[in-house]
Amino acid sequence: MTTLTRQDLNFGQVVADILCEFLEVAIHLILYVREVYPSGIFQKRKKYNVPVQMSCHPELNQYIQDTLHCVKPLIEKNDAEKVVVVIMDKEHHPVERFVFEISQPPLLSISSETLLSHVEQLLRAFILKISVCDAVLNNNPPGCSFTVLVHTRDAATRNMEKVQVIKDFPWIVADEQEVHMKEPRLIPLKSMTSDIVKMQLYVEERAQKT
Amino acid sequence: MDDVVLHYQPGSAVRLSCLLEQTEKLLEPFTCRPPPVFSPWFPTVAAEHRLPIRPAKPAPQITSAGVTLTTTTATENKLQTGNPIISAETQPEQTEEPLCITETPNHLLPVRSAPAVSHREHPGTEGDGSPVRRSWSVFTQKGVLLQKSLSKHFHRLVSVHRLHLRQRAKWVITQQNCRDVEKVWRSLSRSVRSSGFPPCNANIRREQAEIWVFCDVLYSEQVGRLLKDELQLSGRIHLSVHKLGTIFSM
Repeated sequence: MTTLTRQDLNFGQVVADILCEFLEVAIHLILYVREVYPSGIFQKRKKYNVPVQMSCHPELNQYIQDTLHCVKPLIEKNDAEKVVVVIMDKEHHPVERFVFEISQPPLLSISSETLLSHVEQLLRAFILKISVCDAVLNNNPPGCSFTVLVHTRDAATRNMEKVQVIKDFPWIVADEQEVHMKEPRLIPLKSMTSDIVKMQLYVEERAQKT
Repeated sequence: MDDVVLHYQPGSAVRLSCLLEQTEKLLEPFTCRPPPVFSPWFPTVAAEHRLPIRPAKPAPQITSAGVTLTTTTATENKLQTGNPIISAETQPEQTEEPLCITETPNHLLPVRSAPAVSHREHPGTEGDGSPVRRSWSVFTQKGVLLQKSLSKHFHRLVSVHRLHLRQRAKWVITQQNCRDVEKVWRSLSRSVRSSGFPPCNANIRREQAEIWVFCDVLYSEQVGRLLKDELQLSGRIHLSVHKLGTIFSM
């Protein structure tokens, strides 16, 4: 086992690849489980050796891919503190927030076993928790939509250039009303600690959804 | 403190005492004034609370639900007889509303005057302006009369293969359908720019001398007819779907 810094072996890129792949699976699953989109557009697939639901709608898939493609440089540089999947009602007020809190250690002990097997097991546990989280959440009102918020460690404006990776996919600072939720209820779902990344997932749910 | 020497013109004792008084005052230590506490001109709360960032473009909205064509009845029939039977209940054009995609209006982005063409450009892959693999997408249905009905034959095919109406299918135009693939590609691009086609995207495969036109299964018949009419294609064009290959010809 070797101790490496973030600069070695482009470690940040490895972590960003792993996390963005996981976030893509997680976002598809959240949209399915929370019924943001009709179930007809989802197909059952296998990831991390567990069944997951993935959208087969090209426009939605492209949107998610574009979003994560832009988020990746922030994760790579360890600038992303939280990635939040926000489900909003018709008035664009958040009703649920799936918060992925990410932190990466400056030093790491790395091995192929650590990277592949252990991390995959931990991420699988997240996916399983998301797939059953509807049991602890109240139903959402009809006509919900979603967005992805990225909380950066530094001021958002400093990270704007990093995130503008795709020309016709601009990013903006979120409105106050998209971030704040009235009387949120906190539901911790899962946390993980590995040598390459620490992550915790919790849901903030609005008390009165309708 | 070092000694201070006062030089003065002799003559008046009053003037001397006045000078001494002034000198003493000047030599007094400066009064220390504590600096005022710095208060930023912006609210402290806002400085601590950083707002996150989000994509300016809203997520696509799928307003009404559609389901796959294969219903329980059809599945049961298939299982029982080994031969798929299409019941009248499974006809999507009569009983089920197809998925309708609308995009939430975005007030933060400038209105696109010509939304038909959207070139996706990623750093590292763009910029050379190479026409080798040009692609486009259409997200507007403006100006296009979308036919939601499928022919009986095509409807049967969709049921047999258990296709989703929103699954993407691919029309392939080859050199057998036209003399000049480049010429067809140019006229196809023009038609797409003028929103002459339902939501679809395409690219030209110059190495194979083929044009691939992708569209939803729901509109594939309509797209096929439009392709043949507008591009004056000869022979048969083939429709294929992922994993299954060619399922339909026109």
